[in-house]
Amino acid sequence: MVNLIIDDKQVTAPKDSTIYDAAKLNGIKIPILCHDKKLKPFGACRMCLVEVEQMKGRQIPACTTPITEGMIIRTATPEIIKARELVLELLLLNHPLDCPVCDKAGDCDLQNLTYDYKVDSNRFSDLKFQHEIDYNNPLIERDMNRCVLCGKCVRICDEIVSYGALTFIDRGIETKIGCEFEKKLDCEFCGSCISVCPVGSLLARPFKFKSRFWALTKHNSVCGYCGTGCNLTLGVKDNKVLTTVYDENQGFHKGQLCVRGRFGYQFINSDKRLTKPLIRKNGTLTESTWDEALELVAGRLKGGSAVAALATPRLTNEELVVFKKLLLDSVGTKNFDHAAGYAHAALTEGFARSFGTSASSASILDIQKSDLLLVIKTDSYETHPVVGFEVNMAVKNKGVKLSVLSDKRGKLSKLPHAQTLVHLPGSEVAVLNAIAKTIIDEKLVNTHAASVPGYAELEKALSAFSAEVVAAQCGLTAADIKKLATDYASAEKAMIIFPVGQAYTGHNADLASAVANLAILTGKYGKEGCGVLCLSEKNNSQGAVDMGFYAQNGGLNGLQILDACTDGTVKTLFVAGENPLTSYPNRSKVKKALEAVEFLIVTELFLTETAAMADVVLPVCSFAEKTGTFTSADRRVQYVKPAISKNSQLKTDFEVFSDLIVKLGGQSSSTPAVLFGEIAATTPGYTGMSHESLKSEGAFAAVSMKPAFVVPQATASVAAEAGKLALVTGSALYHSGTQSQYGEGPMHVCPEGYIELSRADASTYKIAENDLVTVSSAEGSMQLKAKVTPRMPVGVAFAPYHFTAAPINTIWSGAPVTLVSVAK
Amino acid sequence: MNPITPIINGMKITFKHMFMKPVTLQYPTERPKVAERYRGLHGLKVSHSKAKCVACYLCPTVCPAKCIRVEAGEDANHDKFASVYEIDMLRCIFCGYCVEACPVDALKMTGEFELANYKRSDFLYTKERLLEK
Ligand code: SF4
Ligand code: SF4
Ligand code: SF4
Ligand code: SF4
Ligand code: SF4
Ligand code: FES
Repeated sequence: MVNLIIDDKQVTAPKDSTIYDAAKLNGIKIPILCHDKKLKPFGACRMCLVEVEQMKGRQIPACTTPITEGMIIRTATPEIIKARELVLELLLLNHPLDCPVCDKAGDCDLQNLTYDYKVDSNRFSDLKFQHEIDYNNPLIERDMNRCVLCGKCVRICDEIVSYGALTFIDRGIETKIGCEFEKKLDCEFCGSCISVCPVGSLLARPFKFKSRFWALTKHNSVCGYCGTGCNLTLGVKDNKVLTTVYDENQGFHKGQLCVRGRFGYQFINSDKRLTKPLIRKNGTLTESTWDEALELVAGRLKGGSAVAALATPRLTNEELVVFKKLLLDSVGTKNFDHAAGYAHAALTEGFARSFGTSASSASILDIQKSDLLLVIKTDSYETHPVVGFEVNMAVKNKGVKLSVLSDKRGKLSKLPHAQTLVHLPGSEVAVLNAIAKTIIDEKLVNTHAASVPGYAELEKALSAFSAEVVAAQCGLTAADIKKLATDYASAEKAMIIFPVGQAYTGHNADLASAVANLAILTGKYGKEGCGVLCLSEKNNSQGAVDMGFYAQNGGLNGLQILDACTDGTVKTLFVAGENPLTSYPNRSKVKKALEAVEFLIVTELFLTETAAMADVVLPVCSFAEKTGTFTSADRRVQYVKPAISKNSQLKTDFEVFSDLIVKLGGQSSSTPAVLFGEIAATTPGYTGMSHESLKSEGAFAAVSMKPAFVVPQATASVAAEAGKLALVTGSALYHSGTQSQYGEGPMHVCPEGYIELSRADASTYKIAENDLVTVSSAEGSMQLKAKVTPRMPVGVAFAPYHFTAAPINTIWSGAPVTLVSVAK
Repeated sequence: MNPITPIINGMKITFKHMFMKPVTLQYPTERPKVAERYRGLHGLKVSHSKAKCVACYLCPTVCPAKCIRVEAGEDANHDKFASVYEIDMLRCIFCGYCVEACPVDALKMTGEFELANYKRSDFLYTKERLLEK
């Protein structure tokens, strides 16, 4: 700690603080305009000038000057006030002063400072800027006439997002912020630049002119898309969610969001939302009443094990538990599951056997504290973008080493010094086994590892996976594999990250065990900056696992349930929020199952194509209209409360399941809060939590580990056939599951399915960007737009799975790699 | 006092007044002269054949009766305009704060004071009704 005097007050601050930090820590306010705590000090605006006695009273910027012992600082002498007024006068000189039509008014740093310093006249005169305003994209409006050149947008896009879309262009008075070659903005649209812009230069177009900042009520919530579990502030007016509001103090990510979190909220107030229960009468779905619908559903649920259920892991923990109670106790069936029954296998089977717990042994907070990150598949960025930001910051700011093992390149492999090993699709497990073998061969094994159960068996089983053999099969070099192994083993702290999800069939229990083996062999778990982080797909995927909402004790799993529907053993299927017709593999099979099942019940926000096949559709609530908890991928349990009051015609899933329990003669918990009490009492790691205690901040559910070595089954890499491409499925950056299709933001930037091809393949098949190509596999054939990118290796194609209009499961039957032929 | 005296005094006053200018108006045939600064019905000023209002929301924000409803729209030139501008005259207290708050001098209060109506809904003055003619 350093002692110093600020404004005659004796204060202390940590050694690495700047004057601004030290003052803030001690409650002294220094005005800033270009500084942001998330970004590196920049010193562009000179609003934060202070006087330091030791520097002969010179005026220096507080945001860039480190403190030293005994510094005597004055923050508000008359000279300083005058200097700040001058800064403002100069900024206002060319500023258009169009506050009445600027959406930033009310939340604008320049406006607030002008008001604070009472700058109501200007000694200078000059012309206003006449830059052209960029209206070229549907999400971000760029009006450089209002820009104060603080550089925050440029820096956040570089330092945190690592995209680098914006930069300073030209010099002197002509300086402005623009894209390369003054082209229009075409980036990943995370909106980070909007969030930090102190003025109205960068604005969210979906929110343009919708409301004034001061008229919005701000509600804290948790993003309803992916497992990162970002905290979110919803801006609400007239019971409508109009925007997301940036709050730099929110969550581990300090208010950073991705395109889905920031721009994908429109589904909450969509006109397409269902408002009345629908019952199929004479073949068509007709509006009905809750009484009639629930009575009908309750009657059909009296079928014991002929009833099965699929739930989306977007439901709250409380809802999943009531649903489970309904099924187990009132209906009497063990046939329920989520996420197609396999997307959680890495946790429920892999980690369960390797770590003795179905949760990750590392948290997102460990990423920046590690020394080396091993990321399986570059897709981790696309599936969990804000986790990707953490990786960016770890690599760029903390010097953390990054190794990527992937079947294609991606944004992560562009990070400085990133080592990307691009292997043939489907051979992850073999490569991981080869790494494990190298670690054993090179004697890099941790001293405690040999005593972990299963060591001998693993060592024996790995004999077939020498780096040379695997390298030859997987399209890598033995030296690369060995280097990765020694890097990982010799790093003091190392962490492994991998995504799972419905489109990542290869990321199964075996992959989980294979990565767990590496961590256990080298003792890199259970410590800060170490461990294995499984990025579960949806906002409450980890919660669904923790609540035990998956097939256990002989119950049928997701895919078996569909088979049982087809063969008639399951007669009633209750689908809560899932959209298997688009998101489960093998569309024709799913379709057959849904057609065959006698009675299909769906609870949904929208009339999805699955809901359209149902016999009863019950309209339910989104995350912004209900109370409950979500558990993020790293087991942060977070509380959500209604940001808007629900349409009186709707029920939450909690109410639907509770009502049904009562109708079937059972007793249900009165409120989610009471039920969470039960969850806390019975779920390992949740002990002591309550809605009350989670209200201000989420809490990590503790993970206790019992490691064991498990021999993972490596699948053979798919043999390439002449004239065919290996198609791998996955997530697109702009989407999460199928729900983001109802968010306007994501659909603006990524409206339809596509197939991504390498340049070489594109020229072989004479395919150009945006061509409509016919993609055929053994399952079927469909048309997709082509995207030609340099990141794909030759012979490999990628397609995202989110789109109902172009469902990839037409040609994908759930194999990690599908051989397809493409033709124009 | 002679009981007739007060009557005569009274008649004198009455008689005097018969020749003075009357203070009352024969409304509605006679119209009052409304003062320049009188705060009557609002008017939305027009310039270049468009309402001057830029939908800045300052008047609804300042209005103590919360009787102004503005909704902004984006026109073809990406400019902001009031797609909805409504004042509920039943709630308005004619304080004139809205006029004072307007940063673009788009709003005024006219001398119009005859605001009686038959139906509640007729007191909701929409943009069309408020635009100065
Ligand atoms: S939206 Fe994100 S990627 Fe695009 S310029 Fe802004 S910060 Fe960069
Ligand atoms: S656009 Fe905004 S954030 Fe970027 S430099 Fe200008 S004022 Fe700063
Ligand atoms: S989608 Fe995921 S990464 Fe994006 S804001 Fe939501 S929780 Fe965060
Ligand atoms: S005159 Fe006063 S009460 Fe009436 S609309 Fe204006 S601000 Fe509101
Ligand atoms: S204050 Fe003036 S410009 Fe703003 S909304 Fe009211 S009338 Fe329109
Ligand atoms: S805030 Fe310190 S120079 Fe801008």
